[in-house]
Amino acid sequence: MTAEAITARSASRDISRASRRVLTGRILSYVALVLAVLLVLFPIYWMVATSLKVPKEIFRQPSLIPIAPTLNNYVTLLFEKDFLVAVKNSLIVATTVTVISVLISSFAAYSMVRFRYRFRGLIGRLILFAYLTPTSLLFIPLSIVMAQLRLGNSLFGLILVYLTFSLPLSTWLLQGYFRSVPRELEEQGMVDGLTRFGALLRIVLPLSAPGLAAVAIFTFTGAWNELLLALVLITSDSQRTAPLALNYLITSDVLPWGPLMAGAVLSSVPLMILYFVAQRFMVAGMTAGSVKG
Amino acid sequence: MAEITQSPGALPARRGVSRLTLFAYLLVAPVVLLIVGLVAYPFLFAIWISFTDQVVGNVGKWIGLANFIYLSKNSTFVSSIWNTITMVLVSDGLKLCIGLGLALLVHQHLPGRGLFRSFLMLPWAMPAFVAFLTWRVLYQPIGGGINLILTATGIHSGVIDWLGQRSTAMPAVIFATVWRGFPFWFVSFLAALQAVPKELYEAARVDGATAWQQFWTVTIPGIRQVIIVTTLLSSIWTANGFENVWLLTQGGPSDATMVFPVLAYFGMQTQRLGEAAAVSVYTLPVLIVLVLIATTLMLRDED
Repeated sequence: MTAEAITARSASRDISRASRRVLTGRILSYVALVLAVLLVLFPIYWMVATSLKVPKEIFRQPSLIPIAPTLNNYVTLLFEKDFLVAVKNSLIVATTVTVISVLISSFAAYSMVRFRYRFRGLIGRLILFAYLTPTSLLFIPLSIVMAQLRLGNSLFGLILVYLTFSLPLSTWLLQGYFRSVPRELEEQGMVDGLTRFGALLRIVLPLSAPGLAAVAIFTFTGAWNELLLALVLITSDSQRTAPLALNYLITSDVLPWGPLMAGAVLSSVPLMILYFVAQRFMVAGMTAGSVKG
Repeated sequence: MAEITQSPGALPARRGVSRLTLFAYLLVAPVVLLIVGLVAYPFLFAIWISFTDQVVGNVGKWIGLANFIYLSKNSTFVSSIWNTITMVLVSDGLKLCIGLGLALLVHQHLPGRGLFRSFLMLPWAMPAFVAFLTWRVLYQPIGGGINLILTATGIHSGVIDWLGQRSTAMPAVIFATVWRGFPFWFVSFLAALQAVPKELYEAARVDGATAWQQFWTVTIPGIRQVIIVTTLLSSIWTANGFENVWLLTQGGPSDATMVFPVLAYFGMQTQRLGEAAAVSVYTLPVLIVLVLIATTLMLRDED
């Protein structure tokens, strides 16, 4: 056998050994990933399954799957626990907060990206500090201030305090998006007779549409998910938001698991579908500004 | 005086520079005013309250460090601080390992990686209150999925009251917190891994580096900045997290899972606002250090 043949054969043996190693690596990777996905999916499955169970399957003869699936829990939640009112309140609050903060944050972000002025650096730091100031520090003074302004126990007051986290987040994220819009396009628009404000509305905002949509979704979910400030500010049943209604379900009812999980499904499935569909640009937005989990 | 950014492609400075400045300030004004009124003022107000004996309906008077001295002798407060530290170290440590591990797995060019990524992101899309309410149900001795699975697979036959006993309550809260929180790390790391130049790996391979050596000399330095910023942000959020403990255990049994945001909320319910504010303000020195490091790093990426 020639020297070349020997080298060739040992090389091919190396390759097959290497490819076997690659194959084992792949199998192990899949095993780990499938395990992780199962761990992620099981609680979500349990939420949906529990919401469809009759009480007997939850308590007396616990079963892994709903054997006689029923929508009774949803009926109880919506018609006996007034969950629809809570959903309506949450929609009002989250939508208003989103519209206000996307609008005025886009102005602020544009100003900070396109112009240089004396306090710009300071304002940038202020916004970032505000973004990282936790609600756990602010809820006591905010509740006192809102009581003084006679805005306690009102959706309007809730909208106002939700701006504490939505404005810094939106401004911070939008700065990143606006930085990527080329100045030449604005210049061209202004040569064509647009004012600078016109250029912002007609050129910069439309070009940042994916960014605006991502920021809108983050702001909406942030307001939709908030519990602590609602707990502190809202005292009457008629002003409760969805998280608040479910919170009171566990503190007032004995073992309310069925209706509770029905509420959990209604509060989360639309959002999870939205994220699943829009995830590509949600991820881009999240990693641009590190959005709170 | 303002001028337009003089980087390449800057718009030429036109006539009426001062009007442009005014315009810039007008655009930024609403956000600045609202943040000053709704964040900066309440922030300083919280510090002021913590030095008074304010209760609901009574503004109170300056009492110096009395609230802080009282708290440092209060066993519930002391255990809330230790629990918060445990929570941050253990759950963020786990999120780091799990997030990085899964990001490395998905980063390989495996068929179906997009699908894995989508599924692994789901807990992040779930509202926190929904996630923790679901875990509360999962941990129940009656009707809970965990006990049922353990019995069905024969791992453990008795029923465990996960949230009801001291030994398991904290691990249970941490596990749920990690479940909800790891996707943020996973996605951040995945994006960072994709930004590490491939040439660096090739160069390392040419130099004969093993996979392990490549990980330590190319991967880790390449995503170092993201690791540090993510760790800081997540630590701040975990330390100030309210929903996980509130919805799972309300700090119980006894003080086993009490953390300081929940304690501050309980303090407010008892109407002793000075003490309640002092609970959060106590942690402020640490928070300020973390925030300063995080903002400096985040702004350094900017310009």
